[in-house]
Amino acid sequence: MADDLDFKRLASVAEAPYGPERKAPAWLKSRTYTALVQRQQESGPLLSLTGSKQNGRKLCVFEELVQIVPAGARTESAFFCKVCHARLLAEHIENAPIWWPGCPYVRFQNR
Amino acid sequence: MDPEGGFAPGNRHPDVSGSSATTPAARGDAAVSQGEEAASETELVHAVLRKDRKATEEFVSRYSDSVYSYLSSRLLPHADVADDCFQQVFLDAWQALPGYRGDSGLKSWLLGIARHKVQDHFRERLRLAQWSEEDAEPAAEESLEASIEREEEQSLVWKMLGTLPENDRILLVWRYWERQSAEEMARQTGKSVKGVERALARAREHFRRRWQSEVQNG
Repeated sequence: MADDLDFKRLASVAEAPYGPERKAPAWLKSRTYTALVQRQQESGPLLSLTGSKQNGRKLCVFEELVQIVPAGARTESAFFCKVCHARLLAEHIENAPIWWPGCPYVRFQNR
Repeated sequence: MDPEGGFAPGNRHPDVSGSSATTPAARGDAAVSQGEEAASETELVHAVLRKDRKATEEFVSRYSDSVYSYLSSRLLPHADVADDCFQQVFLDAWQALPGYRGDSGLKSWLLGIARHKVQDHFRERLRLAQWSEEDAEPAAEESLEASIEREEEQSLVWKMLGTLPENDRILLVWRYWERQSAEEMARQTGKSVKGVERALARAREHFRRRWQSEVQNG
């Protein structure tokens, strides 16, 4: 069918490979990350902050504080971002005024 | 299990991220780089499965633009649907991650999950669509002036798709961009093949009219 072929050709040239790349909004990445970590917590505790650091991951300033005090593995496994204002700002404002090194919500910003 | 056995998480699936031709030398470099990428992806998957929150951050950060780009190209102008699907792709990925075998890259695997979400949406929308099986097909369709090599003309195609009624847009995107057969679309939506083909013909006609009007008006 000529018209069918016409559209197949149109689809093949008008997609490189699936339209122009769009950046995911920072607030959407932030909400998705929070939801994902909360989903991970449903099946047991998160890896401790010490564990993350040993894997070469960078902690934020607040996590560093928790990690250096002798708080115990259980405390270190808590999801501190849940009570952090950086998360709250990032989930509601596209260009959130947050700049802390090691903060996931800062990393999600499209700046 | 995916009926086509192609897109379920953990299975190989057609690479919706596309591929490009390369020279032999470039292929050599690409092979090294792909090897490094695969190792890094394996490490990332293991870290996410250990619930390392920082690895989870990298997982979202690294693949979010590709997933969002794909979803928004298929689902816009319904940004809310694209946003919901985006979050659901990553949550589903977490559930399916223990079964990830690394046959395809992590990005392709995630895009396979995203493709399932898009098809679920298309299927649900078209199931609810009301179109008469008796409606006549449009008269012989005129050929499209598909000389759309320039970038602005390619984006014009997406702009045109965005202005179509939703069911027309879904029909065209599902059939031609997602390369789904009319038979399979009919099977998934509970419509007749003839009905889908007629609806497709009308959708093509609507697109063609808008396209020609846009091209003529410059």
